[in-house]
Order: sequence, then structure tokens, then C-alpha cells
Amino acid sequence: MTAKFRSMLQGVAALACIALVCGLLLGAVNHLTYVDPLAATYERFAADTGASFSEMTDEEGADYGNGSVVYYARSDDGGIDAFLVSGGGGFGGNVQIYLYIKDAVIDKLVIGENGETYLDKLEKADFYARFVGQDVTSFDPLSVDAVASATRSSTAVKNGVNAAVRYYNEKIAGGESNG
Amino acid sequence: MDRRKVKETVLGGLIKNNPTFVLVLGTCPTIAMTTSLFQSFAMGIATTFVLIFSNLFISLLRNLIPDKVRIPCYIVLISTFVIIVQMVMQKFMPDLYETMRAFIALIVVNCIILARAESYASCNKPLYSMLDGVSIGLGFTGALCLIGIVREFLAGGAFAGMKIPGFPAMSGAGASAFGFIVFGCMMALFNFAIQKINERKEKMKAAVLPLGGGSAAPAKEDKA
Repeated sequence: MTAKFRSMLQGVAALACIALVCGLLLGAVNHLTYVDPLAATYERFAADTGASFSEMTDEEGADYGNGSVVYYARSDDGGIDAFLVSGGGGFGGNVQIYLYIKDAVIDKLVIGENGETYLDKLEKADFYARFVGQDVTSFDPLSVDAVASATRSSTAVKNGVNAAVRYYNEKIAGGESNG
Repeated sequence: MDRRKVKETVLGGLIKNNPTFVLVLGTCPTIAMTTSLFQSFAMGIATTFVLIFSNLFISLLRNLIPDKVRIPCYIVLISTFVIIVQMVMQKFMPDLYETMRAFIALIVVNCIILARAESYASCNKPLYSMLDGVSIGLGFTGALCLIGIVREFLAGGAFAGMKIPGFPAMSGAGASAFGFIVFGCMMALFNFAIQKINERKEKMKAAVLPLGGGSAAPAKEDKA
């Protein structure tokens, strides 16, 4: 009994020690490679649009069930509303999307972090073009046809775009964040 | 270091025990990540990094890890290095990371790494284990790159990202199925080449042996 207990304890101790050392190693690497999400999002917004963004208008975002707005920022010249949205319902979890609205029209849509393996099918089917150029005041992203054989990835993208459209109509066009 | 063992370890990973073409391990990333040369190379290098360091640490700790918990310990170590690869890629190669994200995480369950940990690193010295990691990793990278070149050229109509004008690209489903066909054909070619080399070696050995045994003289006499 004692020998069995000792062997068990040895195993647990070894595993715990290895896990601890690995945790410390990961902590050190994380410290060296940490990317500030806000700074990274500014850079991404600027790179995608060519405009400058110096502050995040809404760092808290908003949740709309299957989709959520992570960050919202308005460009310094006020011409572009930039969103980082997250669409749920994908095959590999949530799909992050960078979405840009100019004069109440979706100007650009760029896919960000995701765990999907079928997004190339969306690209080949020109799925993203179905959103670009749409007037957000009258557009329902959920009514866009999904791409066959990549329906869950399509749904995640639609949910993400829907969150941005709802946010825009409720909080920006509605006047809450215009000030 | 024993020269013979070093030679055996290096050549073993690259040719004799090539993880893709001979051991047929890690077929998931082989099929999924060989649509282009660049992706194949990046996947190979990421796996090589994990192989080298997991082999090193497992070998260093081989006498301390109790037999009963060795697999969980190996998995903890392997996943640590996979996360390090993810962090480094995310920081320094964000675009590449976005395209490979789903598959980088799957390196944890790549059977090449666990197989080398269990069969080599757990019973060999750290330096040999590292060398085995380098050799197996390069063998894997080389195999992926070969398949990547053929698939990108024949299915994508491109070479190293550059489109070849007038060369048609296959549709998605065709390209996926083509991956299996290319993998199978290259495996057959590789093993055929190895077999031929071995046969030639055997023949040369057989030809040299009679001279050493002193039986070449009667043969000469017969000819005369």
C-alpha cells in the first residue's frame, strides 16, 4: 500500500514539477512576445483603410447573442467607422472580422483570427463581396445565402457582420456615439 | 560522440526512417498543409522546432519521469513548445499565423513527435535526441516541401506563390483529392528509389565478398 502510494505520489510530483517549469517558460515567452490587442487593432485598422486611428471610441463593445462587437473606432478624420467583430457559430469557434463602414455603406471586410479550415471556400465563392457595398441602414446580413459545404463558416461571418450592422444602427446612426 | 551513431541518426531521419514516406506518420498535416511550398516549409520548420526541443527536454528528464506518467509528461512538454511556436509566429509572422493557426495547434497531437519521444528521446542521450529531432524534422520538412511543390504546380498552377500563366488551377474538391494521390505516388517513388539503392548496395557487397574470400582466382581461370 505504502509503495503504491509512494509511486503514485512520485508520478503526481513529477507531472506537477514539469507543468510548473513549462508554465514558467511559457510565462517568460509570453512576456517577450506579448501583443497589446488595442495597439494591434489600431495598426490593423490603419493598414486596412489607410486612415489614422488614434483612439478607440468603444473599448467595451456590445454583445448581440451569436455575434459581438469587440472594438469600435472612428478614424481621426471621422470618415470611417471601423469595427472588430466576432461571429459565433463557426465550425472552429468564433471568427473575428475587421469591418469598415463609410457613409453608412460597408466599405471593406477582412477576416481576422479564426479556427476555420473552410474559409478559402468562402473566398472562392466571392462570399464577402455579398456584404461589401450594402447600405447598413436597410441591410440584413443574416438573409445572405450561405456557401454550400461551408455553411457554419458562412454563418459565423454573417453573425459577425450582423453585430456590426446592429451596433451601427443602434449606437452610431441612432446618435449615441456621435458626440 | 560516436561517429557511426551520429551518421545513423542523421541518415535515419532523412531517408531510412523518413517520417512521411517510410514511417507514414503525421499524415494529417501532410495532406492539409501541402497546398503550397511556403505553407509546407513553414509547417515543417514549426514541427522541427517542437521536435528538437521536446526531444531534448524528454531526454534530459528521462531518468526523472516515472514510467506510469510518461505520456502525460511528454504531452505537457510537447504542448509547451507548440504554444511557444504559436506565440512567436503570432508576434513576428502574423499573416502566416492567420493562415496556419488551426494546424499549428494540431502539432501537439502529431504522432511523429510523440513517436520520437517514446521510441528515441526516452532512451538516448540529449545530444543524440536533439540530432534525431533535427534529422526527423528535416526529413518531414523535405517531404512536405516536395509534395507542396508538386501540388502547388499541378493543382494550383503556381510555383512558390508565383502564378504560371496559362496553367489551369483545380477546383477545391479536386485539389484535396489530388493531395492524397500525390502523397501516395511520392511515397511509392521514394520507397522504390530506396529499394533500388539497397539492391545496388547488396549487389556491390556480393561482388566484393568473393575477392576478399579468395574465390576470384578460379573465376578468372574459368574465363581464360
